[in-house]
Amino acid sequence: MKIAIPATAPDLGAVVENRLGAAPYLLVINTEDMSFEAVAGPSPSIGPGAGIEAISIVTDMGAKAIIAGFVSPHIALTLEKNGIAVITPVGGSVMDAVEKYRRGVLPGMTGGPQQPEVLIDSHAEPQLQTAFRKAARQFFSIFPVLAGVILLVGLFRGFISRDLLLTIFSGKVIQDTLWGACIGSVLSGNPVNSYVVAETLLKMGVSLFGAAALMVSWVNVGLLQLPAEISALGTRFAVSRTIAAFLMAIVVSILTVFLTGGRV
Amino acid sequence: MKTIGHDAKPAANRKHRQWLFPAGVIVVYLTIYFVAPDRTVNALMASGNVLKQMALPLLLAFAMMVVLNLFITPAHVSRFLGSRAGIKGILLSSVAGILSMGPVYTWLPFLAAIRKKGASVFHLANFLSSRAVKPVLLPLMIGYFGWRFALIFTVLNMAGALLVAAVVTYISDGRRKSR
Repeated sequence: MKIAIPATAPDLGAVVENRLGAAPYLLVINTEDMSFEAVAGPSPSIGPGAGIEAISIVTDMGAKAIIAGFVSPHIALTLEKNGIAVITPVGGSVMDAVEKYRRGVLPGMTGGPQQPEVLIDSHAEPQLQTAFRKAARQFFSIFPVLAGVILLVGLFRGFISRDLLLTIFSGKVIQDTLWGACIGSVLSGNPVNSYVVAETLLKMGVSLFGAAALMVSWVNVGLLQLPAEISALGTRFAVSRTIAAFLMAIVVSILTVFLTGGRV
Repeated sequence: MKTIGHDAKPAANRKHRQWLFPAGVIVVYLTIYFVAPDRTVNALMASGNVLKQMALPLLLAFAMMVVLNLFITPAHVSRFLGSRAGIKGILLSSVAGILSMGPVYTWLPFLAAIRKKGASVFHLANFLSSRAVKPVLLPLMIGYFGWRFALIFTVLNMAGALLVAAVVTYISDGRRKSR
């Protein structure tokens, strides 16, 4: 049977790591012949999903038991429901842990290797009420920032008129592209509104580059929503995505205009 | 070795910090109300309109979160949207982004929930970047700008979404090569 152990190094002499998600290596060991495979653990920068990622990796590799320093109780419960045995807390070397597992003397084991067993219990399906309460909690965790973003969008719309924004276009390609991307990044919203604004810009003599840049960035960037995105998905994700989307809006608009021959 | 367990103090601080941003915006509203009361009321009404437009997509996102908590386990999310999900993960996140309606911030609580269940950075970024493509609005875009522009614009947007997702993955996870 295959067992998975988070480890400090890719060999059996390594030390058992405390958590799957924070381990530099994941070892999947065949207890019959002690052959093993070692893979790099998930990056800690993945955040809360690193543990799940690690579990997915080792179960894909055929592990039927996980031995670690600690596994979150709710994850352990889900794994056990799916026939994966979870044995914690275990420290020391990987080799010792495997030997103890084979002798059935690890914590929670009763004289023999733990065989996978699909448990059927009355709590297999989470209740609707629990799911609803959990969704409400997840939802309201981001609510304050979301409310702030909505107020900020209103403030922007109340004080900056569309006509005022349109006056900044000069008719020069590079300048208009940049302004189009900047305005689209700030205004954002439903794509259909961007078509109307872009068409107005074209009628006013703004180049197609500017109009196209506005259309791309309108949906993809979202500067005003950045605080909400940071709150939900983390600063590094939100900032890098916003910058990458802004630059991509410029590239996509320029390519679109070149490929269409500059005519619409 | 990392410490096991949760520290209650930072969690409480984080909770309080979340209110700083909306509190700051309210302070701005109060300040400018004394300078331009009419326009401030207009801004507040515009916020109300934004909230009204968001109501339906927000409800949809909430319903999806309930379904997610009810039927989808972290193992499912990891399999279909994890970093090893492969081409089916890319297709799923692209289609989900294309079909998602309403402002992007409506979907952020949902995205945060699936991230906690194991969705990869790549697929989250791809979802957010695929939202510019809307098949139902394609006839309208063709009407405004012609089919050639609409087609090129759509294809380049889809390709651009994957590139943005790859860049975000590379920056968020420097140890790995982007997919």
